[in-house]
Amino acid sequence: MDAHTRKVYVPMTETGFYILFCLRQPNHGYGIVQTVERLTGGEIRLAPGTMYGSLSKMEKDGLIRFVREEEKRKIYEITELGTEVLQLELKRIRRLYESIREEL
Amino acid sequence: MQTKKEFRFFTIFQYEQEQEYLRRRHQQGWKFVKVTGIGIYHFERCVPEDVVYQLDYNKDAAENREEYLTMFADCGWEYLQMYAGYTYFRKPASQMEGEEGIFSDGASHLAMMERVLRGRMLPMLVLFSACLLPQFIINLSNGRYVVASFLGGILLLYVFVFTGCGIYYLKLKQKYLP
Repeated sequence: MDAHTRKVYVPMTETGFYILFCLRQPNHGYGIVQTVERLTGGEIRLAPGTMYGSLSKMEKDGLIRFVREEEKRKIYEITELGTEVLQLELKRIRRLYESIREEL
Repeated sequence: MQTKKEFRFFTIFQYEQEQEYLRRRHQQGWKFVKVTGIGIYHFERCVPEDVVYQLDYNKDAAENREEYLTMFADCGWEYLQMYAGYTYFRKPASQMEGEEGIFSDGASHLAMMERVLRGRMLPMLVLFSACLLPQFIINLSNGRYVVASFLGGILLLYVFVFTGCGIYYLKLKQKYLP
Protein backbone atom coordinates (compact mmCIF):
# COMPACT_ATOMS: atom_id res chain seq x y z
CA MET A 1 0.00 0.00 0.00
CA ASP A 2 1.49 3.33 -1.08
CA ALA A 3 1.45 6.67 0.70
CA HIS A 4 -1.39 8.04 -1.43
CA THR A 5 -3.74 5.18 -0.59
CA ARG A 6 -2.87 5.45 3.08
CA LYS A 7 -3.41 9.20 3.11
CA VAL A 8 -6.75 9.13 1.30
CA TYR A 9 -8.33 5.94 2.63
CA VAL A 10 -6.99 5.39 6.16
CA PRO A 11 -9.20 6.30 7.93
CA MET A 12 -11.96 6.42 5.36
CA THR A 13 -15.38 8.02 5.07
CA GLU A 14 -18.49 6.08 6.04
CA THR A 15 -19.51 6.10 2.37
CA GLY A 16 -16.16 4.64 1.30
CA PHE A 17 -16.32 2.00 3.99
CA TYR A 18 -19.80 0.78 3.03
CA ILE A 19 -18.91 0.69 -0.67
CA LEU A 20 -15.83 -1.45 -0.06
CA PHE A 21 -17.72 -3.64 2.39
CA CYS A 22 -20.52 -4.26 -0.13
CA LEU A 23 -18.14 -4.95 -3.01
CA ARG A 24 -16.84 -8.14 -1.41
CA GLN A 25 -19.64 -9.38 -3.68
CA PRO A 26 -19.78 -8.00 -7.24
CA ASN A 27 -22.45 -5.30 -7.42
CA HIS A 28 -23.40 -2.08 -9.20
CA GLY A 29 -23.83 1.38 -7.70
CA TYR A 30 -27.57 1.28 -7.16
CA GLY A 31 -27.25 -2.26 -5.75
CA ILE A 32 -24.85 -0.86 -3.15
CA VAL A 33 -27.29 1.97 -2.32
CA GLN A 34 -30.02 -0.61 -1.66
CA THR A 35 -27.76 -2.92 0.36
CA VAL A 36 -26.53 -0.07 2.57
CA GLU A 37 -30.09 1.13 3.14
CA ARG A 38 -31.05 -2.37 4.27
CA LEU A 39 -27.92 -2.84 6.42
CA THR A 40 -28.49 0.43 8.29
CA GLY A 41 -32.26 0.14 8.57
CA GLY A 42 -32.79 3.13 6.28
CA GLU A 43 -30.42 5.27 8.32
CA ILE A 44 -27.93 5.79 5.47
CA ARG A 45 -29.21 6.52 1.98
CA LEU A 46 -26.26 7.06 -0.36
CA ALA A 47 -26.98 9.62 -3.07
CA PRO A 48 -26.10 9.00 -6.75
CA GLY A 49 -23.60 11.89 -7.08
CA THR A 50 -21.72 10.60 -4.07
CA MET A 51 -21.89 7.01 -5.30
CA TYR A 52 -20.76 7.80 -8.85
CA GLY A 53 -17.86 9.98 -7.68
CA SER A 54 -16.70 7.44 -5.10
CA LEU A 55 -16.82 4.49 -7.50
CA SER A 56 -14.79 6.27 -10.20
CA LYS A 57 -12.25 7.46 -7.65
CA MET A 58 -11.88 4.06 -6.03
CA GLU A 59 -11.52 2.39 -9.43
CA LYS A 60 -8.83 4.88 -10.40
CA ASP A 61 -7.02 4.26 -7.11
CA GLY A 62 -7.18 0.48 -7.63
CA LEU A 63 -9.36 -0.38 -4.62
CA ILE A 64 -12.11 -1.83 -6.80
CA ARG A 65 -12.21 -3.12 -10.36
CA PHE A 66 -14.77 -3.07 -13.14
CA VAL A 67 -16.10 -6.57 -13.84
CA ARG A 68 -18.77 -6.25 -16.52
CA GLU A 69 -21.73 -4.18 -17.62
CA GLU A 70 -25.36 -5.20 -17.20
CA GLU A 71 -28.16 -3.05 -18.62
CA LYS A 72 -26.09 0.15 -18.56
CA ARG A 73 -24.96 -0.54 -15.01
CA LYS A 74 -21.28 -1.10 -14.29
CA ILE A 75 -20.57 -3.96 -11.95
CA TYR A 76 -17.54 -3.69 -9.67
CA GLU A 77 -15.76 -5.87 -7.15
CA ILE A 78 -13.11 -5.27 -4.50
CA THR A 79 -9.41 -5.79 -5.37
CA GLU A 80 -6.62 -7.13 -3.14
CA LEU A 81 -5.56 -3.58 -2.32
CA GLY A 82 -9.19 -2.77 -1.48
CA THR A 83 -9.40 -5.79 0.83
CA GLU A 84 -6.20 -4.68 2.55
CA VAL A 85 -7.65 -1.18 3.14
CA LEU A 86 -10.94 -2.63 4.35
CA GLN A 87 -9.13 -4.89 6.86
CA LEU A 88 -7.16 -1.90 8.20
CA GLU A 89 -10.37 0.08 8.58
CA LEU A 90 -12.17 -2.81 10.30
CA LYS A 91 -9.26 -3.10 12.72
CA ARG A 92 -9.44 0.63 13.44
CA ILE A 93 -13.18 0.57 14.08
CA ARG A 94 -12.86 -2.50 16.29
CA ARG A 95 -10.11 -0.84 18.32
CA LEU A 96 -12.21 2.31 18.63
CA TYR A 97 -15.16 0.33 19.91
CA GLU A 98 -13.13 -1.96 22.23
CA SER A 99 -11.34 0.97 23.83
CA ILE A 100 -14.50 2.72 24.95
CA ARG A 101 -16.74 -0.29 25.61
CA GLU A 102 -15.78 -0.54 29.29
CA GLU A 103 -16.83 3.05 29.83
CA LEU A 104 -20.30 2.64 28.36
CA MET B 1 -48.84 25.61 -23.39
CA GLN B 2 -47.93 28.87 -21.68
CA THR B 3 -44.20 29.45 -21.57
CA LYS B 4 -41.80 32.15 -20.42
CA LYS B 5 -38.12 32.99 -20.52
CA GLU B 6 -36.05 34.66 -17.84
CA PHE B 7 -32.50 35.91 -17.84
CA ARG B 8 -30.44 35.05 -14.78
CA PHE B 9 -26.70 35.15 -14.29
CA PHE B 10 -25.04 32.83 -11.81
CA THR B 11 -21.27 32.74 -11.38
CA ILE B 12 -19.54 29.35 -11.36
CA PHE B 13 -19.93 28.79 -7.65
CA GLN B 14 -23.54 29.93 -7.38
CA TYR B 15 -25.08 26.62 -8.34
CA GLU B 16 -26.80 26.45 -4.96
CA GLN B 17 -28.57 29.72 -5.68
CA GLU B 18 -29.43 28.41 -9.13
CA GLN B 19 -30.93 25.24 -7.63
CA GLU B 20 -33.00 27.31 -5.23
CA TYR B 21 -34.17 29.57 -8.05
CA LEU B 22 -35.42 26.61 -10.13
CA ARG B 23 -37.13 25.05 -7.11
CA ARG B 24 -38.89 28.35 -6.30
CA ARG B 25 -40.14 28.71 -9.88
CA HIS B 26 -41.55 25.17 -9.80
CA GLN B 27 -43.32 25.94 -6.52
CA GLN B 28 -44.83 28.95 -8.28
CA GLY B 29 -46.08 26.75 -11.15
CA TRP B 30 -43.25 27.29 -13.61
CA LYS B 31 -41.52 24.09 -14.60
CA PHE B 32 -37.93 24.36 -15.85
CA VAL B 33 -37.51 23.24 -19.47
CA LYS B 34 -33.94 24.19 -20.37
CA VAL B 35 -31.26 26.83 -20.11
CA THR B 36 -29.66 28.28 -23.23
CA GLY B 37 -27.17 30.97 -24.22
CA ILE B 38 -25.52 32.82 -21.36
CA GLY B 39 -28.36 32.26 -18.91
CA ILE B 40 -31.77 32.26 -20.57
CA TYR B 41 -34.03 30.02 -18.49
CA HIS B 42 -37.04 28.52 -20.27
CA PHE B 43 -40.13 27.56 -18.26
CA GLU B 44 -43.58 26.19 -18.95
CA ARG B 45 -46.77 26.43 -16.89
CA CYS B 46 -47.42 23.50 -14.54
CA VAL B 47 -49.24 22.60 -11.35
CA PRO B 48 -47.23 24.15 -8.48
CA GLU B 49 -45.18 21.46 -6.77
CA ASP B 50 -42.17 21.23 -4.47
CA VAL B 51 -39.45 19.77 -6.67
CA VAL B 52 -35.78 19.70 -5.70
CA TYR B 53 -33.31 20.70 -8.42
CA GLN B 54 -29.67 19.64 -8.30
CA LEU B 55 -26.58 20.37 -10.40
CA ASP B 56 -23.59 18.07 -10.74
CA TYR B 57 -20.27 18.96 -12.33
CA ASN B 58 -18.54 15.87 -13.67
CA LYS B 59 -16.57 15.73 -16.92
CA ASP B 60 -16.01 12.01 -16.55
CA ALA B 61 -19.78 11.58 -16.60
CA ALA B 62 -20.02 12.98 -20.11
CA GLU B 63 -17.90 10.05 -21.32
CA ASN B 64 -19.89 7.42 -19.43
CA ARG B 65 -23.16 9.21 -19.96
CA GLU B 66 -25.54 6.23 -20.11
CA GLU B 67 -24.17 4.56 -17.03
CA TYR B 68 -24.05 7.87 -15.16
CA LEU B 69 -27.65 8.81 -15.99
CA THR B 70 -28.88 5.28 -15.21
CA MET B 71 -27.52 5.56 -11.69
CA PHE B 72 -29.34 8.85 -11.12
CA ALA B 73 -32.54 7.49 -12.68
CA ASP B 74 -32.36 4.42 -10.40
CA CYS B 75 -32.27 6.79 -7.42
CA GLY B 76 -35.30 8.69 -8.73
CA TRP B 77 -33.55 11.72 -10.27
CA GLU B 78 -34.91 12.92 -13.61
CA TYR B 79 -32.21 14.04 -16.03
CA LEU B 80 -32.86 17.44 -17.63
CA GLN B 81 -29.83 18.60 -19.56
CA MET B 82 -26.09 19.14 -19.69
CA TYR B 83 -25.04 22.78 -19.87
CA ALA B 84 -21.57 24.32 -19.53
CA GLY B 85 -20.18 21.22 -17.81
CA TYR B 86 -23.09 20.99 -15.37
CA THR B 87 -25.75 18.28 -15.41
CA TYR B 88 -29.24 19.25 -14.25
CA PHE B 89 -31.48 16.87 -12.29
CA ARG B 90 -34.77 17.13 -10.41
CA LYS B 91 -36.81 14.99 -8.02
CA PRO B 92 -40.17 15.76 -6.40
CA ALA B 93 -39.91 16.31 -2.64
CA SER B 94 -42.93 14.02 -2.23
CA GLN B 95 -40.77 11.06 -3.33
CA MET B 96 -38.15 11.78 -0.68
CA GLU B 97 -37.82 10.84 2.92
CA GLY B 98 -36.59 14.07 4.45
CA GLU B 99 -34.35 16.47 2.58
CA GLU B 100 -32.42 14.70 -0.13
CA GLY B 101 -29.75 15.79 -2.60
CA ILE B 102 -27.45 14.16 -5.11
CA PHE B 103 -24.65 14.20 -2.50
CA SER B 104 -25.08 12.39 0.78
CA ASP B 105 -21.82 13.40 2.44
CA GLY B 106 -19.62 16.45 2.74
CA ALA B 107 -16.55 14.85 1.20
CA SER B 108 -18.28 14.16 -2.11
CA HIS B 109 -19.84 17.62 -2.18
CA LEU B 110 -16.38 19.11 -1.68
CA ALA B 111 -14.99 16.82 -4.39
CA MET B 112 -17.51 18.32 -6.82
CA MET B 113 -16.39 21.82 -5.84
CA GLU B 114 -12.82 20.84 -6.58
CA ARG B 115 -13.87 19.56 -10.02
CA VAL B 116 -15.51 22.93 -10.65
CA LEU B 117 -12.31 24.67 -9.51
CA ARG B 118 -10.14 22.62 -11.85
CA GLY B 119 -12.55 22.72 -14.76
CA ARG B 120 -13.66 26.34 -14.65
CA MET B 121 -11.39 28.41 -12.41
CA LEU B 122 -8.06 27.13 -13.72
CA PRO B 123 -8.71 28.14 -17.37
CA MET B 124 -9.84 31.55 -16.12
CA LEU B 125 -6.72 31.92 -14.02
CA VAL B 126 -4.51 31.01 -17.00
CA LEU B 127 -6.29 33.56 -19.20
CA PHE B 128 -5.92 36.09 -16.42
CA SER B 129 -2.19 35.71 -15.88
CA ALA B 130 -1.14 34.91 -19.46
CA CYS B 131 -3.22 37.46 -21.39
CA LEU B 132 -5.06 40.10 -19.45
CA LEU B 133 -2.44 41.05 -16.91
CA PRO B 134 0.51 41.52 -19.36
CA GLN B 135 -1.76 43.40 -21.79
CA PHE B 136 -2.86 45.72 -19.01
CA ILE B 137 0.73 46.49 -18.01
CA ILE B 138 1.87 47.02 -21.62
CA ASN B 139 -0.99 49.40 -22.39
CA LEU B 140 -0.55 51.29 -19.16
CA SER B 141 3.19 51.83 -19.62
CA ASN B 142 2.63 52.97 -23.22
CA GLY B 143 0.14 55.58 -22.12
CA ARG B 144 -2.88 53.99 -23.81
CA TYR B 145 -5.14 54.81 -20.91
CA VAL B 146 -8.52 54.08 -22.50
CA VAL B 147 -7.52 50.51 -23.35
CA ALA B 148 -5.72 50.17 -20.04
CA SER B 149 -8.71 51.26 -18.00
CA PHE B 150 -10.97 48.91 -19.97
CA LEU B 151 -8.60 46.01 -19.25
CA GLY B 152 -8.26 47.21 -15.68
CA GLY B 153 -12.03 46.98 -15.30
CA ILE B 154 -12.05 43.38 -16.49
CA LEU B 155 -9.14 42.58 -14.18
CA LEU B 156 -11.03 44.01 -11.22
CA LEU B 157 -14.04 41.91 -12.11
CA TYR B 158 -11.80 38.84 -12.26
CA VAL B 159 -10.25 39.56 -8.88
CA PHE B 160 -13.75 40.04 -7.48
CA VAL B 161 -14.94 36.66 -8.82
CA PHE B 162 -11.75 34.85 -7.69
CA THR B 163 -12.02 36.23 -4.19
CA GLY B 164 -15.70 35.33 -3.99
CA CYS B 165 -15.02 31.78 -5.16
CA GLY B 166 -12.09 31.40 -2.79
CA ILE B 167 -14.13 32.50 0.22
CA TYR B 168 -17.03 30.25 -0.73
CA TYR B 169 -14.73 27.25 -1.14
CA LEU B 170 -13.10 27.79 2.24
CA LYS B 171 -16.52 28.17 3.87
CA LEU B 172 -17.69 24.87 2.40
CA LYS B 173 -14.48 23.20 3.42
CA GLN B 174 -15.06 24.30 6.99
CA LYS B 175 -18.64 23.13 6.85
CA TYR B 176 -17.85 19.70 5.45
CA LEU B 177 -14.49 18.86 7.00
CA PRO B 178 -14.77 19.89 10.63
